[in-house]
Amino acid sequence: MPLAGLLTTVNIYSIMPPSSSDPRLQALLSSPHLWRAETPESLPGSPSSAGFAGIASGHALLDAALPWQGWPRSALVEIISPVCGAGELQLVLPLLRTLSEEQQWSIWVAPPMSPYAPGLLGAGVDPARNILVTPTPAQRLWTLEKSLQSPACALVLGWPGLLSGKHIRRLQLAARKGRTLGILFHPRNIRHSASVLRLATHTRGDTLQVQVLKARGSYRKDAFAIRLELP
Amino acid sequence: MSSHLPQKPGRAPAKRLLKAVKPRHPVSLPPSSSRPSRRSTPLWYAVCVPRLQPGHGERGIAQERLQELAALLGQISATVSIQPPDSVVFEVRSSLTYFGGIANIRTRVLALLEPLLASWELESGLQQAVTPTAAASLLLARSGCNLLVYRRDSLRSALGSLPLDALVSSLPPAKAKQRSRQLRNSGLQVMRDLWRLPRQSLARRFGPEFVRQLDVCLGDMPMPVTPHQAAPRFSTTMDFEYAGENSAFLLHAIDELLARLCLYLQQRELAAAHLQFLLRHEHREDTVVAVELRQASRSQSHLALLLETRIQALTLAAPVIGMQLEVQRFDSFRPQSRPVTGLADAAGQADQGAIVQLLEQLQARLGNEAVRSLHCHAEHGPELAGSERTFSGIAGIVGSPAAEAGPLPVATRPCWILGQPSALPPPAFRTLQLLSGPERIETRWWSGQPLHRDYYVARNQQGMRLWIYHERTGERAWYLHGVFD
Repeated sequence: MPLAGLLTTVNIYSIMPPSSSDPRLQALLSSPHLWRAETPESLPGSPSSAGFAGIASGHALLDAALPWQGWPRSALVEIISPVCGAGELQLVLPLLRTLSEEQQWSIWVAPPMSPYAPGLLGAGVDPARNILVTPTPAQRLWTLEKSLQSPACALVLGWPGLLSGKHIRRLQLAARKGRTLGILFHPRNIRHSASVLRLATHTRGDTLQVQVLKARGSYRKDAFAIRLELP
Repeated sequence: MSSHLPQKPGRAPAKRLLKAVKPRHPVSLPPSSSRPSRRSTPLWYAVCVPRLQPGHGERGIAQERLQELAALLGQISATVSIQPPDSVVFEVRSSLTYFGGIANIRTRVLALLEPLLASWELESGLQQAVTPTAAASLLLARSGCNLLVYRRDSLRSALGSLPLDALVSSLPPAKAKQRSRQLRNSGLQVMRDLWRLPRQSLARRFGPEFVRQLDVCLGDMPMPVTPHQAAPRFSTTMDFEYAGENSAFLLHAIDELLARLCLYLQQRELAAAHLQFLLRHEHREDTVVAVELRQASRSQSHLALLLETRIQALTLAAPVIGMQLEVQRFDSFRPQSRPVTGLADAAGQADQGAIVQLLEQLQARLGNEAVRSLHCHAEHGPELAGSERTFSGIAGIVGSPAAEAGPLPVATRPCWILGQPSALPPPAFRTLQLLSGPERIETRWWSGQPLHRDYYVARNQQGMRLWIYHERTGERAWYLHGVFD
């Protein structure tokens, strides 16, 4: 089926309800050559183009703001926060809880303080499934890359300090190779970074203000607030 | 039957030779057992070095020395067994023809062991005996009777003049004392006295274990002998035709050495628990790279990955002219079995293997201390409730999470903790806004470092929620202990 002749159909589809039963439309939609703007990982050459959904983040507003309906898989995420420990871990705690229920491994690379096992347990996270790695500053990027490249762990949380766009590109490739979700916490917003998702957070009163700076394949730049509650 | 050993020329006459014993009394064999032919009766050679016993050195040293002795005696017999604390027995009937008689074997044993004993400064300490049962050989060797007994029939008379103390020496000291008093009070002094007593009364007076010990000595009951197996050891070297420094060149050589190691491991169903890798230099000390494995492995790619990680982090002092790979500690190879059903479990196991490999690789480069696992303890003191341990294998982490974790914390706990509480000076404290509290923690009064603290949750000007406390005794100062997130 020549794709060029069907562009109008695609436009119609975007305003039509998705439950169309036209067989020609179905055939077109199942074609691997079709790029769909609203499911970014269906880009040709992506690790998995069909049935691609994210991991529920546990925050309804965040899920709604992201094209994957949750955290992306096999990708690098940046969370940009001016200070450490100002609530940005709250974004990740539900994910850690899900992963520890599934008995998957999470690795914490160079966190600014020590994670406290009773606190994690109180938040419903099994501390035994979390490994703490504290490399010297010079070895941080190497550690991050190796952890992301390994298919053994599901999540890598990293506090890399200052980063350049080149490093992010390399880490993004590593995350894709290892099919690992990497979440980096750092203070500086790098324009044109290669990460799949970039969020900026800051705290105001009892809430964590989250702004989506970039989500690959989506033009929406939602901003919303998450209420911080004591775990 | 008996035979006289030819005297070895040049031996000091003070040293007693093995002497053969003739049966003095007609011996009645148990009616059920047919008389064994000479070839089928084993002949056990016992060698005893009494001064090897613990007390003269540590137990570990004695054990090591016995293993050295056993390794040497492996040249004479196929079945060598270590009998702690001080003896080694080995079977020589099968080697008699090969060595040309017991006298030659004895000469050879002395030639093998004397230099070794001399190096331990135990020259005059060797006692030996040869009989058809290992237990009798041991008994005779330990009591210093250098005897040679060829036939089981002669055992009773050979053992006859042995004092009974020899028989009780294998018991624990308290029991041995009691038993020897018991024997003395019954008017029994030498083994011959026992032969005259009926079995049943012996069993009634001294217990069935005692009678069993006699039976084992006389060969009426078999004695289990655990053969000594030398510890496996692997060492391989490679010399280069020209000195190399380039890491690609070294990695190629490593692959070659590891291939040899993995072949060795596969043939013996073993897995390496550590690797010691030497890089040889000209006119310089060797560079040693030691890799400890959390989980013994025989996967060439995994071992190569670990070694490569270490080698790449290494700065070489000089070009390398040769390499040596040595492995001394092994573990038995445990293949991962996958059940047909329960695929999730199998996937979980494979996943565990992969995470161990990753963590080992991180440890190889960053040091063992840099990779830690998080643990929870049922403790009230906040410092003790959570701990980090150096990662040392998956079992330590996932082994007993539920048992160790205990009950959930009663109140809210932060996700971040400071290693040491940091003092909050009053100006800094004044900028904080208290959100909740206090939670009073009073514990460890028994330890000399009691905790009397009131914990609060406070928010600072950046919006961080902090876990702070103030001391209820002493200076009543405020401290920052953790950060909620």
